[in-house]
Amino acid sequence: MNTGTPGTHGATRPSARWDTMTGFLLCVRFILRRNWLRLLVWAAVLAVMIPVVYDSQQQAFPTQAARDAYAQVANTPAVAAMTGLPYAAGSLGGILVIKIWMTLAVALGFASIFLVTRNGRADEEAGRTELLRSSALGRHAYSMANYVVAGGLSVLVGLLVSLLCLSVSLPVAGSWVMGASIAGTGLAFVAVAALCGQLSTTSRGANSLGVAVLALFYFIRAGADLQTHGTEVSPLSWFSPIGWAQDMRPFGQDTWWPLLALVALTLLGCALALRIETTRDLGMGLLAERPGPSRGSAFLASPVGLVLRLERGSLIGWLLGAIVAGAFFGGVAKAMTTALDPTNPFAKAFMGNSASVLDGVMSLFVMFNGLLAGAFAVQCLAGARGEEANGRLECQLAGALSRSKWLLAQLLVAAVGSALMLLIGGFLTGASSNGAATGRDMAAASLGYWPAALLMTGVMLFLHGFLPRLSVSLAWAVYGLSALIAMFGPLFSLSESAIKATPFGAVPRMPIEDFALLPTVDLTVIAVVLAALGIWRFRTRDIVPE
Amino acid sequence: MSSSNLAIEVTDLHKHFGKTAALAGLNLQLAQGSVGGFLGPNGSGKSTTIRILLGLLKSDGGTATLLGGDPWRDAVELHRRIAYVPGEVSLWPNLTGGQAIDILARLRGGVDYAKRDELLERFGLDPSKKARSYSKGNRQKVALVAGLASDAELLILDEPTSGLDPLMEQVFTECIRKVKAEGRSVLLSSHIFAEVEKLCDTVTIIREGQTVEAGRLDDLRHLHRTVVSVVLDRDAAVLATVAGVNDLVTDGFKATFTVGEEELGGVLKTISTYSPRTLVSSPPSLEDLFLRHYGGAGRAQLTTTQVAGAR
Repeated sequence: MNTGTPGTHGATRPSARWDTMTGFLLCVRFILRRNWLRLLVWAAVLAVMIPVVYDSQQQAFPTQAARDAYAQVANTPAVAAMTGLPYAAGSLGGILVIKIWMTLAVALGFASIFLVTRNGRADEEAGRTELLRSSALGRHAYSMANYVVAGGLSVLVGLLVSLLCLSVSLPVAGSWVMGASIAGTGLAFVAVAALCGQLSTTSRGANSLGVAVLALFYFIRAGADLQTHGTEVSPLSWFSPIGWAQDMRPFGQDTWWPLLALVALTLLGCALALRIETTRDLGMGLLAERPGPSRGSAFLASPVGLVLRLERGSLIGWLLGAIVAGAFFGGVAKAMTTALDPTNPFAKAFMGNSASVLDGVMSLFVMFNGLLAGAFAVQCLAGARGEEANGRLECQLAGALSRSKWLLAQLLVAAVGSALMLLIGGFLTGASSNGAATGRDMAAASLGYWPAALLMTGVMLFLHGFLPRLSVSLAWAVYGLSALIAMFGPLFSLSESAIKATPFGAVPRMPIEDFALLPTVDLTVIAVVLAALGIWRFRTRDIVPE
Repeated sequence: MSSSNLAIEVTDLHKHFGKTAALAGLNLQLAQGSVGGFLGPNGSGKSTTIRILLGLLKSDGGTATLLGGDPWRDAVELHRRIAYVPGEVSLWPNLTGGQAIDILARLRGGVDYAKRDELLERFGLDPSKKARSYSKGNRQKVALVAGLASDAELLILDEPTSGLDPLMEQVFTECIRKVKAEGRSVLLSSHIFAEVEKLCDTVTIIREGQTVEAGRLDDLRHLHRTVVSVVLDRDAAVLATVAGVNDLVTDGFKATFTVGEEELGGVLKTISTYSPRTLVSSPPSLEDLFLRHYGGAGRAQLTTTQVAGAR
């Protein structure tokens, strides 16, 4: 390692620098052992989107003439804001980028954040890191292994994306840039998550902070892409690593150098995180703990009061998310009203057979509000299983609290919270759209997704009753699949009736479609039945901690 | 004992987790107003029994009665009359210890602030600190204060002093004596023999989900042999022929042996003819009783039990 410093300390000093990495490979193997299935699922689900979406686009735009026609109308503010500037919409590769690049990059960002937190701060919070660090393990070995494994997922996904692009005979240079740009985004968020894991003392805090940073970077680049006319890059996009990756422009200019910036950001971020790890105590964050109230009120001790207090941070976060998303959607709609000519026949063809292209986009935004509310509902009730898993429920039930009362309190917060998110997000979507729609109409349209959000609570309660240990993962899987089909159903060449058979797909797409009573009632009834079965089972089963 | 004055009555209790039998015919009785020790190695079914008594688990067979009610069916009503202190306390990391105490106390019925604050003082616990910064001992104190501040008829304590320092154990002992003086009942699951010997009227020892020994501590001692150490004026090997002497170990003039209650008089008479220089006789300690059931056939057996019982 060192070519010999003279002096008495010469024998020990040189290796001291590397001592902090002792056991690194062991940690890598350990983390892979604990996460291999999770990693494989992430990699497979993300990569498989490439051939699926490519196939559907090949069918949608079979001829060059069709692609050229699409290129004429692709550059709408909605497309720019949601998925980036369509700089090469006349080629299959460029269309692939429009349809799937942003989804893959953002999803990989989420994967990086969740993985790094799960193996990093969550373990430290639970005290498992202490056990590891007490053995002959270097101070940074475990964290470094964590970052390397999470980064490895990004590289793997990038590689798979590139190979799958090549396998459908897309241009070679573009295929490699496509994979590299997605991998680069994932890597950048490994660094973001590494820093969040050092700053926050809880895994929940680390995840929330990471997701907030991701949302911030997403909105910065959305603002940048909305600002520009044509396909020139706005300087604002340089304030977001997602913007850097976008500007690699696969199947367009195929620029490689922004990847260097992304890798540099990754290395700097991880190095800084390790530096913080050196200076802080195990189990602590940089944000110090303040003393709190020494007494608990009667409200805090009520089932609803306790849920509200425990979920306080998360509730505020989700409501803020709904507000930001609503305002953002409204802003995009506003930009569209000025940019789009609703009589354009191409626009009509792509946005649906409605009188107003705008209505099509608005219905999409309304659905996003619905998906956000559904995610909140799942997360909120997953907290109930969390209370059971970590043993805190036992102490509560040892008091004079019935199981159904406890669970109904959790359900109440999930149901009312999701309704609030829908109303606020919907109202802001309309109110900030500068006349594209009214706040009242959009709030009502968003509330149309409440039965779907309730169905998510029903699914979670049902699983919580019958398969408590698997309930959280399975509920997220059900949600993820439902959301994926609602958003990309047509891209997957699913029939309309198949999409209508899924929770979010079943909801009438107001304002482009009219309100329909039947699906609303259907969703509600299924939700109530699932929830009732789940609650009944929970009342009659053993309490099972982790 | 008529069942009306029993705080806890468990008969032939069974519980399976998959193929593992956690309880296989467990019996447990606790008279009202008494303190009952509940002993057994790790994984022998103590916590499972307690969790059935709390209505958190449903038994697969046998009967369990708590304060005259069914612990599963009448859970909510019964819980107003009991207090529970778990051995492994998990608290809400972002709430303070004081908040956690009040939540647990209010769930049972209400907070007696005078009693609560006095206990906080005695246990030396800062209630304004967030639970995530508490050590194991301090988390344990939170559960103890919440439980002891109540006026519950029955306290169910599952290894309540794990993680406490000796001073705090002393405070705990005083608190339990006070509870007993007030005529309330306590079920105390513990590994600390001294604690159980000090506090408990009755003891139930279980192994692999079955009760192997139960009764008043004094009675149990009567059933077991007294340990005698003597130094004689001649080679102690002569004791080998004396009727009633068991487990004899000799070392020159010195000898240690055990002797049953009935034979003690006869044995002492014989020994007196050997003009003993010293004679120490000690009653069997709880630890002896315990080890007799777990270590009797050798330590290996105990280890196997622990492995088999753990899930």
